[in-house]
Amino acid sequence: MEHEMVEKEVAQKSVLIYLPISIGAALLFLLASTLSGNYPLVARIGGTVWVALLSLIVSMPIVISRVKKRLHGKTQ
Amino acid sequence: MTETLSELTLPISGMTCASCVSHVEGALKELPGVSNVTVNLATNKANLSYDPQRVKLDDMLVAVKDVGYAILTAELTLDVRGMTLRQAQGDACASCVDHVEGALRELDGVTASVVNLGLGTAKVTFIPGTVSVSAMKRAVREVGYEAQERSEGADALDRERQAREEEIKRQGRNLIIAGTIGLIVMIGTFYDMLGPLKAIIPVWLSYKWVIGLLTTPVVFGPGRQFFTNSWRGLKHGVTDMNLLYATGIGAAYGIAVINTLFPNAGFGGEGATFFESAALLTGFIILGRWLEALTRGRTSEAIRKLMKLQPKVARVMRNDREEEVPAEEVEIGELVIVRPGESIAVDGEVVDGYSAVDESMLTGESLPVEKKAGDPVIGGTINKTGAFKFKATRVGKETALAQIIKLVEDAQASKAPIQKLADWVAGHFILGVHLLAVVVFLFWFFFGYQMFFDPNSSFIMSPYKLGAIGVFGFSLLLSVTVLVISCPCAVGLATPSAMMAGTGKGAEFGVLFKGAEAIENTSKLQTIVFDKTGTLTKGEPSVTDVIAGYEWKLEGSRLSGSDAKTDTVLRLAAIAEKNSEHPLGEAIVHGAQDRGLKLAEPDSFNSIPGHGVEAKAEGSEILLGNRKLMRERSADFSRLMPQAEALEADGKTVMFVSLNGQAAGLIAVADTLKEYSVEAVRHLHKLGLEVAMITGDNRRTAEAIARKVGIDRVLAEVLPQDKAEEVKKLQAQGKKVAMVGDGVNDAPALAQAEVGMAIGSGTDVAKETGDIILIKDDIRDVVVALEVAKATMRKVRQNLFWAFFYNTLGIPLGAGLFYTFASVIISPELAGLMMAVSSISVTLNTLLLKGFKPSVGREHKPRQGSGNPQLKHATVSVGND
Repeated sequence: MEHEMVEKEVAQKSVLIYLPISIGAALLFLLASTLSGNYPLVARIGGTVWVALLSLIVSMPIVISRVKKRLHGKTQ
Repeated sequence: MTETLSELTLPISGMTCASCVSHVEGALKELPGVSNVTVNLATNKANLSYDPQRVKLDDMLVAVKDVGYAILTAELTLDVRGMTLRQAQGDACASCVDHVEGALRELDGVTASVVNLGLGTAKVTFIPGTVSVSAMKRAVREVGYEAQERSEGADALDRERQAREEEIKRQGRNLIIAGTIGLIVMIGTFYDMLGPLKAIIPVWLSYKWVIGLLTTPVVFGPGRQFFTNSWRGLKHGVTDMNLLYATGIGAAYGIAVINTLFPNAGFGGEGATFFESAALLTGFIILGRWLEALTRGRTSEAIRKLMKLQPKVARVMRNDREEEVPAEEVEIGELVIVRPGESIAVDGEVVDGYSAVDESMLTGESLPVEKKAGDPVIGGTINKTGAFKFKATRVGKETALAQIIKLVEDAQASKAPIQKLADWVAGHFILGVHLLAVVVFLFWFFFGYQMFFDPNSSFIMSPYKLGAIGVFGFSLLLSVTVLVISCPCAVGLATPSAMMAGTGKGAEFGVLFKGAEAIENTSKLQTIVFDKTGTLTKGEPSVTDVIAGYEWKLEGSRLSGSDAKTDTVLRLAAIAEKNSEHPLGEAIVHGAQDRGLKLAEPDSFNSIPGHGVEAKAEGSEILLGNRKLMRERSADFSRLMPQAEALEADGKTVMFVSLNGQAAGLIAVADTLKEYSVEAVRHLHKLGLEVAMITGDNRRTAEAIARKVGIDRVLAEVLPQDKAEEVKKLQAQGKKVAMVGDGVNDAPALAQAEVGMAIGSGTDVAKETGDIILIKDDIRDVVVALEVAKATMRKVRQNLFWAFFYNTLGIPLGAGLFYTFASVIISPELAGLMMAVSSISVTLNTLLLKGFKPSVGREHKPRQGSGNPQLKHATVSVGND
């Protein structure tokens, strides 16, 4: 039970970290592709989504395991 | 800061007295965060409170161990579903090893967890009472897999086989769906290029929406497993191969949908679909999994063969009647009846009857072994000719077969250092690949496309030009291809598959490796140290030479010639020694008996301590002893001295025999070589190894033996307790050393060496120390062990080379590195095919180990036994040198 609660807490805290990271990376991409001025809208939006997805995939496991370690450290 | 204390009960072993209690208590109390320690000698338990933030269970394990006791741990094997191809819903690659191991290790009370990808198992070492099996299962489930406790023996075998067959069926079904539809999608996509075939293929098959409709069930049917499994892992913070596949397939499908709905989105326009990429990619990945499921099960065939040996029924005598009962119900002490052709149900000792038993399946011994009353029999072996009864001595998990199965399973579940590295690489690879996919996308999006894109370029093995594909489409395709082509499946498979095959192969020849590390270490050995007595030699003195005196006349004998003389010398000496308990005397008596000489009782007998014996028999005065004794009694041996000295130079102990004051002859006694010592050492030299011998004998004797065997280095006059020190000295010279010896007496030296080989242990393998157990008392098995280890590590290296070769070549290809100068890129579906091929090639390469045969010939091996030694040359010779 306690374990499940910790897991829930891990998920909640993690999402607050990895989601902004992913969105931030995606927005950065959007900004860069817009400022360079040569890309069609589809490319910019598509690229933003792809960068967001990959950033999410990269940041999710890293953030979750870090948060998990920190929380497990606290509860033990 | 407030402390949150937890209560804990630890099972302690090794405590025998009250002082032990205080030791253990003291050790635990010293740990920060531990309080209220109470150790109970009667229950062998320690109760304590501890603060988990300040102290870990591992610290307690170490603290108790440091004071000479141990916290008892138990082992449990979980079948982990979803991790291997044998089981449902899983990914196939090595990253899951890290996830499952990590999840289990995180649990309080778990001290170690080792996942074997090939077997689909997780072996958990835990402190009983501190963690439940359900907690372990839950932990595994939370990282995206299913676990269940493994059952033992034949049931486990059945379940394993059943699960593997189910997985093959499931992936086979998926393959049929994905393959068939993928083929139709491909035909539809390339409709324009079909030429005359267009007449028989309906044109609507080339419509984009039809192709899309056909592809959708492939992606969300057979391909669904990748999405669900990767999501399950991802939300718990773990990444695996499924994620690579899911992003690859998902992106290819997404591109196709976008291109269909928005032809001007920059994915090649109306002419391109990309549905075939999604369909074929799914098909190829599933093809890879199906082929792996087919082939990977074969690498663990050895354990299956061993499990199959376990007999199901036994015929026992109960209430004076023969009863057929399940083998596991046989009890120790029961009489078991075995008829010709039947399997022997449990271990035991023959009490009645005579037969020959085929033990090859357990010991590698090619010829049937004769069994008579008093001889041991091993459960799982097959009775050949006669019928006999035996008394059960070991049943259930205690039988030799059960012990061997456990040992091989444990070895297969262990990890070689090289494997730990490969697992680490594979485990961290996925994230790296996703990062690389981002980099590749950004590079081609912002720079590469503008700099290098050529509309006339095309995918490898594709007729279509990339044409109007836009910057986003091009960058995305390369990014997706990197994801698909980088799957480190082959890296994860390379080592465990070879280790499984290697340990199995060793077991086939009666060579039991206790772990994968033993295999790896054995393959690196430079020096083999043999204990002399009992390993290179038989360990008991026997008569090697008898020389009759020239001047001595054999009065009253009807025989003439040297044979008669030597026989008489030996016979009279044996009569004189008949009542002696001295080992040399016993050797002479056995030597005479082995030659069939009849030994009468001496008329009188007198032992001369430190010198020899004197006796009267058959009217002669017999004096037998050393040189000093002969000098004192004025027996002139001057003409026999050259022979005596030559024998002594050979390391033999010479006994002088005088009859009625005349020099009658010499008898040489020595510890004789085992029959295959010379052959084994020769083979070891061929393998480029230095061979050393360690013994407590004096240097001259030791060197004489060493010369006969071909030993390179002699470590003589070494006391038993100093053997480990000698091994250490060799190691200090930078040598990788193996020690071969008796698993009990030489245990410290076996432990000190990089590899300890316990030889001739018989089948009670559980009691043996050493990293390798050689069941038979055949020294050539040392060569077999080395050859198996070298062959296995060769396979590991080949596998790793191929695995890394694929990725080294594939990743730059997928990332578009070659496009910058050759204008060629690989399509995602071809990348999928490449990765499938990489895994299969590694597994198939491992399967080649099945054909391994050791270089030492075993098929014509004569039976080893206590047969009569043969005397040599003119005057005699006993032994085999």
